[in-house]
This record gives sequence, structure tokens and C-alpha cells, in this order.
Amino acid sequence: MSNLALVSTLVFVAITAFLSIRKKLGLEKDILIGTVRSALQLLFIGYVLHFVFDTRNPVFIVLILLSMIGIAAWNAGSRAREIRGIRLRIAITLACTEGLTMALLLGFSIIEPTPQYIIPVSGIVIGSSMIVAGIYLNQMKRELEASRGEVETLLALGGTAKQAIQGAVKRSVRSSMIPTIDGMKTVGLVQLPGMMTGMIVAGADPIEAVRYQMLIMFVLASSAALTAILLSQISYRLWFTKDVRLVQSPKQDTKS
Amino acid sequence: MAPLLSMNRISKRRPDKAREWLFDDITAAIDKGERVALLGASGTGKSTLLRIAALLEPIDDGELHLEGIAQISFKPEHWRKKISYVAQAPVMLAGTVEQNLRTASELHGTLFDEPLARRCMAEAELGHLDWKKPAAELSGGEKQRTALVRSLLLRPAMLLLDETTSSLDPTSKEAVEHMLNRWAEREGTAMAWITHDMEQSRSVSDQIWFMGDGKLLERGDTKAFFQGPSTEQARRFIQKPIEREAGGNE
Ligand SMILES: Nc1ncnc2c1ncn2[C@@H]1O[C@H](COP(=O)(O)OP(=O)(O)O)[C@@H](O)[C@H]1O
Ligand SMILES: [Mg+2]
Repeated sequence: MSNLALVSTLVFVAITAFLSIRKKLGLEKDILIGTVRSALQLLFIGYVLHFVFDTRNPVFIVLILLSMIGIAAWNAGSRAREIRGIRLRIAITLACTEGLTMALLLGFSIIEPTPQYIIPVSGIVIGSSMIVAGIYLNQMKRELEASRGEVETLLALGGTAKQAIQGAVKRSVRSSMIPTIDGMKTVGLVQLPGMMTGMIVAGADPIEAVRYQMLIMFVLASSAALTAILLSQISYRLWFTKDVRLVQSPKQDTKS
Repeated sequence: MAPLLSMNRISKRRPDKAREWLFDDITAAIDKGERVALLGASGTGKSTLLRIAALLEPIDDGELHLEGIAQISFKPEHWRKKISYVAQAPVMLAGTVEQNLRTASELHGTLFDEPLARRCMAEAELGHLDWKKPAAELSGGEKQRTALVRSLLLRPAMLLLDETTSSLDPTSKEAVEHMLNRWAEREGTAMAWITHDMEQSRSVSDQIWFMGDGKLLERGDTKAFFQGPSTEQARRFIQKPIEREAGGNE
């Protein structure tokens, strides 16, 4: 894309800002921040990738993956700030999901072991797992409002933390996986996924782009399952105090 | 021998106003097989006290012992298996009546004693109930009794009954009282009842605990309590049942 074309894309920002001002939505400041941030972040990652592709040093790949996991864990953990230690558990979960997925993709030679493949695919895996983790936590918070009685009943009957929270966990795991699975059902009919669109725009054969998109869809389904189940297993105890009572939900629910 | 449950100088702050005490310095004990009625106006912390005894609520000060052993040396689930709280508002778990009744045996990997379950249900006047029915579809009173039987089948050493007959008609209420009296006799189960029903407290208890003004004001023999309570608060409490119930804040 030429520089002139790139600058011309600002016309879309202008439309957004104009509508916001005209309709008094009060979003101009956010639009400005969003525009600047997305431009800077994307340029930054562009140069980073450029550098990493050139040097081909695996240390940089690992560093990039780790920072992706860190940011994703921080972000998803904001859904349940009051649960101590949740961000660490999310980070561990994302690292395991990413590690296992990459091991399989590389082990079966499905993708080539080059940064050009590893980094974008990892970005998709970690990003989607972050969303799954966020939905899971949101759902658990709702469950523990709505199903407090159920959990306490099981505790009062001598159940362990795990037994008492099992139902809530199972329902939350399901809800966190449903968007990904629904996405598999409608992909291509309702939405053309970003990666596939990008490949086609960049000149790839649509059939080739579709093959990669299939790979991504299946990888996303498995990483959603891995993330939700792993996170639920290593975090269920955090919803209880040391002496196995449900943690009090914060009096003033913070905005999620 | 050490009592079954002993509470030693238990204090609890108000959940809404942390600087005030809901109650403080409560010391009491209950022996194996003993039956206690816990009386007091609404909002004095009776439910909170029983929830504390079942480790469902933290305490701000004091100690609990079970058969002479301090609470901290118990796994909470082992404690709760012995001292089980039956909530005032019954919660039916997902699934059928039968699945609810099987909960305790499922949790602890023990055999489900179906004849015993059938007998308890019949004694609670729920003999006609279809066990395949989803528990969520039961009436309030049916839920309350099913939840009670579900807890009985855990066979705890002590049952904490929070207004366990509050949504029952007089006949079922009496049936439940009989069932629990028989159960206590047969199994040697200790029971603590919260009740606003003076008749009931007379017929189901050996001892009365009376709470008021953030204290356990009285603790003594049921007959003696009703013949002549030693505090002014208790005297007023048993004289004015109507006002007391109307003035409740629950
Ligand atoms: N979760 C809670 N949040 C705020 N206040 C509570 C909570 N639970 C109990 N309370 C208050 O604590 C007091 C004691 O409640 P409770 O033990 O249920 O009394 P009782 O069973 O004697 O009627 C009441 O004033 C009640 O409003
Ligand atoms: Mg109460």
C-alpha cells in the first residue's frame, strides 16, 4: 500500500469523529486515542517483526511470545481483579495452551518453524484464548452470584471445594467455549476471517488462504477447550478462602 | 468427656457495619444427642451463629471445638460432614428428587440407603412424591422437607436446623418434628433448632439458648426457661409472641 493510500485511510477516522461530534456521542477523545494507539502499536509490532524475521534468533521469538502471554493474562485477569493470583493462573494456562498447540503444529510439520508462521499463528491462538479466559471468568463471577446457594448446600453436606464448585465450573467452561464453536459453524457464510481476508488481499490464492483458515479454526477450537479446562482446574480453589468458604463478592461490583 | 460441639468466646462483627458487634463473647456447648432450641428476635444473629458452627461464616474472635479437638485441625469438609447446616431457604440442586437425596452418598462415595430414604420421606409426609420429578418443580414446603431428608442421609453427628419448618402447614410441621425427634433418639444426633414457634421449641428441645442484645443471654433447661426465664428480655420475649413476629426484619 502506498504512503498516500495509507494516509487516506484517515478519512474513516474523520467519519467516526464527525458522527460522534454531530450526534454528541462524546467519543471524540476515545476515537483520537484509539486511532493514535492502534497506529503506533501496529507500526511498532511491524518493525519488531521486521527485525525478528531478519535476525531469525529464536530468543526474540520466545520474548515476543512471552510478552503476548503477559499482556493477554493481564488483560483477561481484569475481569476478576478481586480474585488474588488469577493473572498468574491465566498466564500459566495461556503458556500451556500455546506451548502444546505449537508443539503439535511444528511436530506434525503443519506449519514451518519460521517466525513468519510461528508469531502470527501464536498471536491468533493467544488472543483467542485470552477472550475465552475472559468469558470464563465473567461467567464464573455470575455463577457465584447466582449459584451461591448451590455451592453452600454442597459445602454444608461435607463436599470439598472441588465438588461444591463443579457445577458452576462446568457451566462456565461451556459458555466460554460456545462462541468459538458457533464461530466454526458460520465462518465463511457470515464473516470472512481477518487472516484469510488478509492473505487474499496480499495476493494469495483464495484456496490456499482457505486451507490456512481451516487450520486456524480447528486450532482455535482446541485452544478454547484447553484454555477453559486448564484455567478452571488450576483456578477453582481461588474462589474459596483458605478454610473453604466462598470468597465474598465485592460489595460494590467493579465495572468489568 | 468433651462435649460434641463447644463454642468458646465467639464474637462476630456486623456484616453491614464492621465496627459494631453482631454478638460477642458467646460461650456454649452441646453434647452428643442433645437437642437445643435457639430463640431470639429476628436479626439477633441466630442464623449467623449456626452458620459459624457449620464453618460457613468466619468468626472475628473465639474458638470452636468438635469433641475436644480444635477446629483448625479439621479439614473443613470433615467438620461439615459432622456438623451440618440446613438452610432456612431450601436450595434444590439440579436434577430430580432422587438425585438430590443421593447427594450425600455421591459426595462421600458411600452406599445410598434407599429404604432409609423412603422411610424418611414417608415420615415427612412426602411418601407420595415421585422421585423422578425435577426437584425444581416441588412446592416450597416439599423442597424444605426434601432438603432436610437430604441432610439427614448424611448422618451427621449434629444437625443445625434454621427455621426448618417455616414453610410447612401444621400437619407436616408436626410430622417433621416427630421424625426429627425419632431420628435423634435412634441415631443419637444432636440438634440445634432455630424457631419462632414456642410450642415447637418446647417439644423438640432439652435446652434453650436465648439470644438478645448481642449476647447469649440464657442457656438452660427448656422447662425451667419457660417456667421462669432469668432475664427481663427473655420474659418479654415469651410473653409477646405476636409483636415479636410482626416486628421481624427478615
Ligand atoms: N450477608 C449479609 N449482608 C449484610 N447483612 C447481613 C448478612 N447476613 C446477615 N446480615 C445481618 O446480620 C444480622 C443477623 O442476621 P441473622 O443471623 O440472619 O439473624 P437471625 O437469624 O437471628 O434473624 C441481621 O441484622 C442481618 O441483617
Ligand atoms: Mg435467621
